[in-house]
Amino acid sequence: MKKEMYDLAAWSIKTAKSAGADECRVGISSDRFVNISYRERKPENIKEASRRGLGIEVFVNGRYSAQSTSDLRKNALKDFISNAISTTKLLAKDPYRTLPDPKYYKGRAELDLEILDPDYKKFSPEDRHNMVKAAEESCLAKGGEKVISVTASEYDSYREVILMSSNGFEGYRESTYYQAVAQMTVQGEGDRRPMGFDYAAAVMRKDLPSPEKIGASAAKRTLDLLGGKKIKTETLPIIIENRNVPRILSGFLDAMYGANIQQKRSFLADKKGEMIASKYFTVIDDPFIKSGFGSRLFDGDGFAAKKRIMIDSGVLKEFFVDWYYSRKLSWEPTSGGPSNLIIPPGKRSLKEIMKDLGRGIFITGFIGGNSNSTTGDASIGIIGKLFENGKPVQSVSEMNIAGNHLKFWQQLVEAANDPWIYSSWRTPSLVFTDVVVSGL
Amino acid sequence: MKKITRRSFLKSTATAAAATLAAPVLPKGLYALARGDTPGYFEREFGITDSVCQKVLAEALAKGGDFADLFFEHTISNWLILEDGKVNRAYSDVALGVGIRTVKGDQVGYGFTQELTEKSMLNAASTAATIASAGAKKPSGKFAWLETKNYYPLKTLLTSVPLESKLPLVQSVNDKCFALSPLIAKVNAGYYDQQKRILVVTSDGTKAEDLQPRNYLYASVVAEKDGKRERAGWNFGGRRDFSFYTPALLEELAKTAVDRAVILFEAVQPPAGEMPVVLGPGVTGVLLHEAIGHGMEADFNRKKISTYSTMIGKKVAEPFVTIIDDGTVPNLLGSINFDDEGTPGQKTVLVDNGILSSYMYDKISARHYKVKSTGNGRRQSYQHYVQPRMRNTYMLAGPATPEDVIKSVKKGIYVQDVSNGEVKIGEGDFAFYVSQGKMIENGKLTAPIKDINIMGNGPKMLRNTTILANDLKMNKGGSGACGKGGQAVPCGFGQPTCLVKSMTVGGIRR
Repeated sequence: MKKEMYDLAAWSIKTAKSAGADECRVGISSDRFVNISYRERKPENIKEASRRGLGIEVFVNGRYSAQSTSDLRKNALKDFISNAISTTKLLAKDPYRTLPDPKYYKGRAELDLEILDPDYKKFSPEDRHNMVKAAEESCLAKGGEKVISVTASEYDSYREVILMSSNGFEGYRESTYYQAVAQMTVQGEGDRRPMGFDYAAAVMRKDLPSPEKIGASAAKRTLDLLGGKKIKTETLPIIIENRNVPRILSGFLDAMYGANIQQKRSFLADKKGEMIASKYFTVIDDPFIKSGFGSRLFDGDGFAAKKRIMIDSGVLKEFFVDWYYSRKLSWEPTSGGPSNLIIPPGKRSLKEIMKDLGRGIFITGFIGGNSNSTTGDASIGIIGKLFENGKPVQSVSEMNIAGNHLKFWQQLVEAANDPWIYSSWRTPSLVFTDVVVSGL
Repeated sequence: MKKITRRSFLKSTATAAAATLAAPVLPKGLYALARGDTPGYFEREFGITDSVCQKVLAEALAKGGDFADLFFEHTISNWLILEDGKVNRAYSDVALGVGIRTVKGDQVGYGFTQELTEKSMLNAASTAATIASAGAKKPSGKFAWLETKNYYPLKTLLTSVPLESKLPLVQSVNDKCFALSPLIAKVNAGYYDQQKRILVVTSDGTKAEDLQPRNYLYASVVAEKDGKRERAGWNFGGRRDFSFYTPALLEELAKTAVDRAVILFEAVQPPAGEMPVVLGPGVTGVLLHEAIGHGMEADFNRKKISTYSTMIGKKVAEPFVTIIDDGTVPNLLGSINFDDEGTPGQKTVLVDNGILSSYMYDKISARHYKVKSTGNGRRQSYQHYVQPRMRNTYMLAGPATPEDVIKSVKKGIYVQDVSNGEVKIGEGDFAFYVSQGKMIENGKLTAPIKDINIMGNGPKMLRNTTILANDLKMNKGGSGACGKGGQAVPCGFGQPTCLVKSMTVGGIRR
């Protein structure tokens, strides 16, 4: 497929240029995926397909547009490209819109990111069914009599992407992905039927935990929700569970994107070099992690990927600035968005930390909420467990935390030693002090 | 991943009554001509004949199964975007493909292909067929066109409206926003339109073709005052003819976006705690959609994971509360001439004077409950299987005036707009962010509020809805999409002013 994709990309560039484009950039993706789910010990859904898509950005007389299509018949594509160019000619000029300076393409790392499972083709339909069945069985077994419904599923894919520009960029990425999920609903008090789930995802199948483990953990997480209620409003330490940190972190990160900075929607715009959080807050963008979901050698602009410390012990070091907004801001570009995002883990386990904290809330889920990138104000519903001296006391729900990012991250006092590895954002559980948790 | 969380509806709006205008029944030929088109688009453009459909359906039923269907789609979407004063970027997308489904009981086999060749379609059909394991079943030998009404007639196809007509709309919104207030620092505006052509062919011999238009115009503004910044936005749209975007509408759009941003400079955070909440008319219907509607989708009940799964025929609200899900309201975002399984668009009473009277069914759930599908079988695209989904969901008006409702509250909040809603189906618990609202003190609206969540429980909120006003308004937005099981579909909603006697407000501690 690789050669076919290269040829189509080159043909598209040639076609666009001969139809009047000054420059253009083409991305083609192709994937094949399988998705199987089980419920009541039989397949609920079986889905499998291949798909392809082509996206083309055209630069015509200082004007710009981007188009994408799944109709890759050559005749249709030819009309599609020529329509794209006529459309572009009618738009207003944008002096900032160009292909990147090719100097940023240079220096691409030469290493194997290990994002392609060499054994992907050995993953048989039978393996898939067995994996899902095992997750379902273990969830049912652990859930016991309270179970109302269990669904287990898997998703796996093989994906190729090619990016080519008329000013000399060429890049190709080939990767695999596996995901396993178990989800359970149990009978709670009265009409309440709490639902919980667990999942894991990996680039290499060998890095997935056993389906039995995922199923049992889904059951445990669901049973933990039973009896959840709100308690009195209280100022407490909170621990945000590793996998749930990205939901809060993404609100902070929104203010670090070039588009939001240039469009006056960032509360961090003028804070580069300043201490904007406690010294325990460090964020690293690392594209070179072996088998990381976000691992890459080049980004969407074609820039050679680099490891960057975005926030260093509380000091804001860098923003995510792509080529276009770097020109609008007259700043040096970095990269338009994160690859793998790391908050370095700490030394102590959750258990040790909880024991020392006294009374606090361990947050295992969020609900609703909002984070305003312009002002930094944020507010979100929480679900979790109240604990005292390391022992669980009470499941909590229908409670809320509210504040401003610029204050909230100053309250970070520790990271646990438990990074969540099943995501491109590898975050450990984080401990914050003196948080007002509002309830009754 | 099949995760039952939903973060949905972007910005949306109020006004326009729930006028259920009677649309004329037209035979297929006339119906299609009314849109400047003739039937058989997929046959003409892609050679999809009855005999091809029959072959592919036969392959989908090669191992048995209860039924199979084909869902052809050709969708063209366009975005025109303004930033820093000029419409200087455009995006477009073309989606073409067919989804093939084989159903056996509640089990689904699904394949799709983007190549509408017989070979590719037969391959996808054989993937779908693997869900069953019995002897082959024969599809119908003949396909009859489904007769439908048209709830979104167009004078001009959206793809035939020239760019030169669309560009000034966006530019004008920008200019109006800046003219309305000196506090406006940035404007982002845009126009989106989509023309979705679908053809559903079922193994029991039905074929149905539709052209679903969708569009919206939006403005998002940043205002600056005394070194502080606030941001807000608004949009108007639906399944509208291009003539919907009048100068008066553009003015209203710009004014709404600007007013919503500027008022935030005066907004306060209300105290946290349990208090009465008055929901304003129109856009707050998203709460009804999220907190209550989803629990009434039949799949969640068939699997017994919804809190409503044992409540059919039971009292779930005060006797003056009636809730409707309606695919037939002209030009609204959630209206459909037929659903994505070929069941005609219709109006379904979910809660009838306080009694839970119906779930929303797709074909699989309807067979499970031995009832007829209510036409709620919807999917995001040919790449997705069908789920029961809402269309336009609203609560009927009551006798009180909006002023009466506000007067009844000593201390509480008035919610004008909410966003970022999320619901736990099994418990019914929800949380919403209040993006616009006011304090209520001694029966009067006072300071504007911001940055708070309201949290509650759907069934409890429904039971606690104690006063309904006479001002039902349907949301007139076009940008909202509802998410479920990883699929987004356009939905509409509406609500009269109502009192919920107690809800948790997550603000600051006083």
